[in-house]
Amino acid sequence: MRRYYKETHGTKAFDVFNVVLMFLFMLSIIFPFWNQLCVSFSDVSTYPVSNITVLPLGFNTEAYQKVFSDQRILRVSLVSVMRVIFGTTGTLLCTGLLAYITTIEWFSGRKFLRRAFLLTMYFSAGLIPTYLAFISIGLYNTFCVYIIPGLFSAYYMLIIASYISNMPTALFEAARIDGAAELKIYFRVVLPISIPVFAAIAVYCAVDQWNSWFDTTIYAPNGQWDTLQIYLRRVLLEIEALSMIEDSSKALSKFKTLTPQSIRAATTIIVTLPIVCVYPFLQKYFLTGITIGAVKE
Amino acid sequence: MDTNKTVTAVGNHPRSSRLRRRLRRERELWILSAFILVWLAVICYYPMYGLIIAFKYYVPGKPFFTAKWVGLKYFSQFINGRDFPIVMRNTLAISGLNILFGFPAPILLALLLNELKNKHYKSVVQTVSYLPHFISWVVAASLLFSILNSEGFLNKILVRAGIIEAPINWLSKGEYFWGILTTANIWKGVGFSSIIYLSAIAGIDEELYQAGAVDGLNRTGSIWHITLPGIRTTVVLLGILQIGSILNAGFQQQLLLGTTQTRKYYEVIDTYAYKYGVQNNNYSYGTAVGLMKGVISVTLVLLANRISKKVMDIAVL
Repeated sequence: MRRYYKETHGTKAFDVFNVVLMFLFMLSIIFPFWNQLCVSFSDVSTYPVSNITVLPLGFNTEAYQKVFSDQRILRVSLVSVMRVIFGTTGTLLCTGLLAYITTIEWFSGRKFLRRAFLLTMYFSAGLIPTYLAFISIGLYNTFCVYIIPGLFSAYYMLIIASYISNMPTALFEAARIDGAAELKIYFRVVLPISIPVFAAIAVYCAVDQWNSWFDTTIYAPNGQWDTLQIYLRRVLLEIEALSMIEDSSKALSKFKTLTPQSIRAATTIIVTLPIVCVYPFLQKYFLTGITIGAVKE
Repeated sequence: MDTNKTVTAVGNHPRSSRLRRRLRRERELWILSAFILVWLAVICYYPMYGLIIAFKYYVPGKPFFTAKWVGLKYFSQFINGRDFPIVMRNTLAISGLNILFGFPAPILLALLLNELKNKHYKSVVQTVSYLPHFISWVVAASLLFSILNSEGFLNKILVRAGIIEAPINWLSKGEYFWGILTTANIWKGVGFSSIIYLSAIAGIDEELYQAGAVDGLNRTGSIWHITLPGIRTTVVLLGILQIGSILNAGFQQQLLLGTTQTRKYYEVIDTYAYKYGVQNNNYSYGTAVGLMKGVISVTLVLLANRISKKVMDIAVL
């Protein structure tokens, strides 16, 4: 941003202060992750965990070997990846179609459809009735419980619809006069021109799917569909339980060269790494989404 | 031939024919809508039927409608119960702290980012600030446990600096819980929430700053008289919304960070309903607690919407 006010000693001093402050702010975000990375690679059999701060002490990958030697990690990772792929694709295609239908001005069910969804933004059955309903319709303890309830979303509908409604309707009408079916118009015309907004929603959905854990706890608790997040949560709970035991040295001896802290650190890093690697490159897209959403508001 | 038929049909029943033509034109859309509406009915509206168990003595495994009506028994049980004051206190305190500190934080961050001279540095800070938004609360909780436990580095720093004598296991002390939770909420959300304020700031006309400088506005003056008024609408709007959702004090955070020792400080309405409902199989009671919260919440949100419409002439959603 260009500056129009007069530079004084005061403003220069503030600039320095601001740069330092923002540096500290970044440090407060990166350091916890960095510390975990150091713990996960440290040789915890010779150095106490509390001594590890900015650099790993010693080097070993035992924590990672231990985590990856667990057969379950492969399965839970696969479930997480499948959630992201199917959940995101499903939500995009379905909510996109819904959004498109609500923008067709001559469609007489348009307002009704829109309102029926908007209502769900205010009223929901709540946790327990939803839980009981999912049991009764057979979603309980299935993989589908991650995908089906999220297929349509009122909020994403609003964002996508506001994007589509800014498109010239002549585009769709031309295809319609050519005799194209609505689904064909959706896939051939609407989807290609709405890539920016779909990309933004894809980022939100994928991150949501990757990060959610509570739905597993309540809707799929039998362990068959555990995700990486739930796996990490189990590790956390185990460590908490261990630290509750008074004679902790006895409990820790089970691990010999590993401490629970290093296992936790390694698992945390494994769960976080995919997101950390991907999100900086998706900035363009999620920023678009917020701007469109803000315009709508 | 066909056209003749249509003409006579129009002549005889103009209205029903128009309707038929319209339906034929919209047939495809109605078929697609039907699928969507089935989903909506099953996933969103059918569960609402289950809300009646809040007024019934429901035994798990038996159908809803055979259960005995008990009226408002569970509601009064909650309100007159021993846990009510604690649960309400925690909900309002945690929410209040979020409004008091969590709400201004992204505005402050946006203003500070906007004052950075170096564009590249600014975009690096922004990118880093989004990171906590993209990690799950499970990961955030894991980080917090490792920072705050008695062997964590916070204790090490504090002990070395002489601020505390012996390491403290911060998360097992109830009196620190609200502070930790508020800090964690800010840490996780501040970067991402600042985006909307930054885009509002970017929308401010640059000529205003030029004119301000001509009139002798200094740096603080131009922030106070140009930038802040420029984002006023966004601030007020989001502020009203946040006040409207005061009963949503978070849920995941409490479940992940709370321990048995800190229960007196972390238990909020949502976690309470979940514990009693699902974990203790007391479905009717949990539903009643959830329903009560839901009704108050919706009223508050609608009220907030009404106010924002009146005050700012802008409808939210």
